[in-house]
Amino acid sequence: MDPRMCRKISSSESLPDADNVEYEISNITAPQESEDNFLIEGSPEPNSVTWLDDDQIDELDLNLDQTNLFFHRVDSADIIYRSKKKKCKMVGKYVMGDVLGEGSYGKVKEMLDSESLCRRAVKILKKRKLRRIPNGEQNVQREIQLLRILRHKNVIELVDVMYNDEKQKMYLVMEFCVGVLQDMLESSPGKKFPQRQAHDYFTQLLDGLEYLHGQGVVHKDIKPGNLLLTLDQTLKITDFGVAEALDMFSPEDTCYTGQGSPAFQPPEIANGAEQFSGTKVDIWSSGVTLYNMTTGRYPFEGDNVYRLLEAIGRGEPAPPPSSLGPALGALLSHMLKRDPSLRPTVQEIRRHAWVQATPPLESGERMVMPRSRRSDELHSSTVIPYLVERHYASAQEYFTEHDLRHDMGEGGSRTLSTAELSDGESTRQKRRWNSSCGRLPSCRLT
Amino acid sequence: MFNPDINDYQLTSIITECCGGVAVVYSALYKPSNQNVALKRYFVDKTKEKATLIQQDIMTRKELQHQNILPYLTSFVNGRELYVVSPLMTFGSCRDILDRYFHEGLPELACAIILRDVLLALQYLHKQMFIHRSVRASHVLVGADGSSRLSGLRSAASVAVRGRRARLHRLPPPDHDNANLMWLSPELLEQNLKGYDERSDIYSLGVLCCELANGAVPFAEVPTTLMFTEKVKGSRPQLLDCSTFPEPCLDDGEMKSMYNTDSGVGDTADGVTRLRQVYATRKLTDSFHHLSEMALQRDPEKRPTATQLLNHLFLKQIRKTDYLPGLIGRVKPIKPDPNDMSALLLQQKMSEMDIEKTTEWDF
Repeated sequence: MDPRMCRKISSSESLPDADNVEYEISNITAPQESEDNFLIEGSPEPNSVTWLDDDQIDELDLNLDQTNLFFHRVDSADIIYRSKKKKCKMVGKYVMGDVLGEGSYGKVKEMLDSESLCRRAVKILKKRKLRRIPNGEQNVQREIQLLRILRHKNVIELVDVMYNDEKQKMYLVMEFCVGVLQDMLESSPGKKFPQRQAHDYFTQLLDGLEYLHGQGVVHKDIKPGNLLLTLDQTLKITDFGVAEALDMFSPEDTCYTGQGSPAFQPPEIANGAEQFSGTKVDIWSSGVTLYNMTTGRYPFEGDNVYRLLEAIGRGEPAPPPSSLGPALGALLSHMLKRDPSLRPTVQEIRRHAWVQATPPLESGERMVMPRSRRSDELHSSTVIPYLVERHYASAQEYFTEHDLRHDMGEGGSRTLSTAELSDGESTRQKRRWNSSCGRLPSCRLT
Repeated sequence: MFNPDINDYQLTSIITECCGGVAVVYSALYKPSNQNVALKRYFVDKTKEKATLIQQDIMTRKELQHQNILPYLTSFVNGRELYVVSPLMTFGSCRDILDRYFHEGLPELACAIILRDVLLALQYLHKQMFIHRSVRASHVLVGADGSSRLSGLRSAASVAVRGRRARLHRLPPPDHDNANLMWLSPELLEQNLKGYDERSDIYSLGVLCCELANGAVPFAEVPTTLMFTEKVKGSRPQLLDCSTFPEPCLDDGEMKSMYNTDSGVGDTADGVTRLRQVYATRKLTDSFHHLSEMALQRDPEKRPTATQLLNHLFLKQIRKTDYLPGLIGRVKPIKPDPNDMSALLLQQKMSEMDIEKTTEWDF
């Protein structure tokens, strides 16, 4: 049959079983752009098949309407559908889920520990990509070394490190987090948090920083983009790529290199000082972070990195807007002192009036929730569809309307609507469930 | 009061090894008052990471006072070992009773009495703003008077945050073989933003219903990840009888894998056939089925609370005169075991000799 006859039918309806099944016609399938290197499509179709994507199919339809020259008639009931699959992939004892984010070094994906069922995130580092980043490999080594020693509620936990020499990949298995403060800020009105919420995060940041500085570790890249939130709203300081462990026996906290993000750098680094106090860098960056979380702006702005650094190096920060109130304004000014020695320590910040009292939620203010991922506000595990594929993969991957009608006990010859097709699939799905539950006689479906 | 001194306790038998070999439970005689107690001995060296959990267990039990929760008497350190003293629960854990005497499950009335006691414990715990998070037969201990007490408070968590009830999102601390996961509710295992609350314990109670009635734990022989997807998809474990276990639809091989119990008769083909027959020919009351179905609902909001379940018809059948030890007559109480005692005495002497070894031999 002529492949052009076929129309892609897809259903966006989610099935009651929460299993999203997409229908694709088996002989026209969008080229499986591996959004994921692990997805190796073992497609059983003959090689002669042309793979088209949606736009191309639309164009084909147009052509057909215009020319309408020759094609074999195919009963729509004979069109072969295929349910889209998520291939289950294991790395060690972990089951891979969807991509959570992407960085210059590689991807961050969700994983599930198949033994403890604990949700995890994994940073996948490719050696090839790492080599292209200045100090890339060195930074990763340092991050692993530091994270192995650090243990605190507000510092991200490195759970496991795995290597795949063949693929030249490294897997850093971490605690699972639902969101980055940066993303939450971007999606919130005014790109800021209510003071109540900012206060909660800031005090947790202080706890984490106090621990780090107590351990002689300077983070040097504190910013909303490096602050994550777990399911229970615990803040986690992450990305220790440019962090530094201070000399334990030196009374000073002198550092020599700064590689953090420009907007959060203090004047001493912007001016290229050869050495500077490490902990006070974190205080400044935390000040900029607090400024940003409560105002939606930055104390220094510039059209480009050079202008920005110039502004930080020479100017005074934009005074905190008076709408913040005197307490927060004073705290920000104190943390953003040009002279590092005048900036407060973590302990001093703790005793500050704004930190001591929890600000109330003003009328009209709403707490910002972690941005929902793919319309899933609950941030449910993305590993489940892969597990379903693994445990319930049925032999009958291809099916036609005939099959569905048969399944539905309908002898009629009318064409099923897309909705019915998806319904058909849902009964099929149920049947599949039942048959798999047959092995579990003590179970039944609700 | 009980003295925190090992010399006041005479070990009388080994009850069980637990926590993946890091702890052993002994029965012992508390010499000053001639009372029987249980001593749980932790090898602290092996449990570095878990020390905080033992501490948590003790702290929680100190805080709680209820006739259906295993009380804490005292604890002390001797050498490199930590001892925790509790009252002796003469008939052991329900898991031990099932494994040794009731492969096909306990009689219904016995289940009802045990479940009522566990529900009383849960009602109290939930009122105190705790979630137990490991309700399972091995944590239900039966005392000489036939009353059951809930133990395993190491995984209990407080839901009180600044005096208010909060929802939890994390898994309980892992046990050595992750077996605890089989009893946990789908919403707890899901670990999403919605989190879970005390109704998660009600689901575990439902799994306990099946465990007590069937002998085997639901999902025991399937991979952990399959158990997880089954629960998330809403498939419910069931009580096995002629209504839920029609005999012909299962072939032997699959049966075997489903209903192996870890010990004894269950492992042999004969045992499996016998179990099948028991399940397929017996009939459990509708109210028991109903209770377990209510507790095992996928949607936590639909599950009844512990208080509501205590008024369930299935538990109403218990009369004041019903006596658990009478219903489970074949279960032998834990008694001083002369063989264990001589072994323990030897062990004690050996350890004393260990100390003496430090004095050098001088010829």
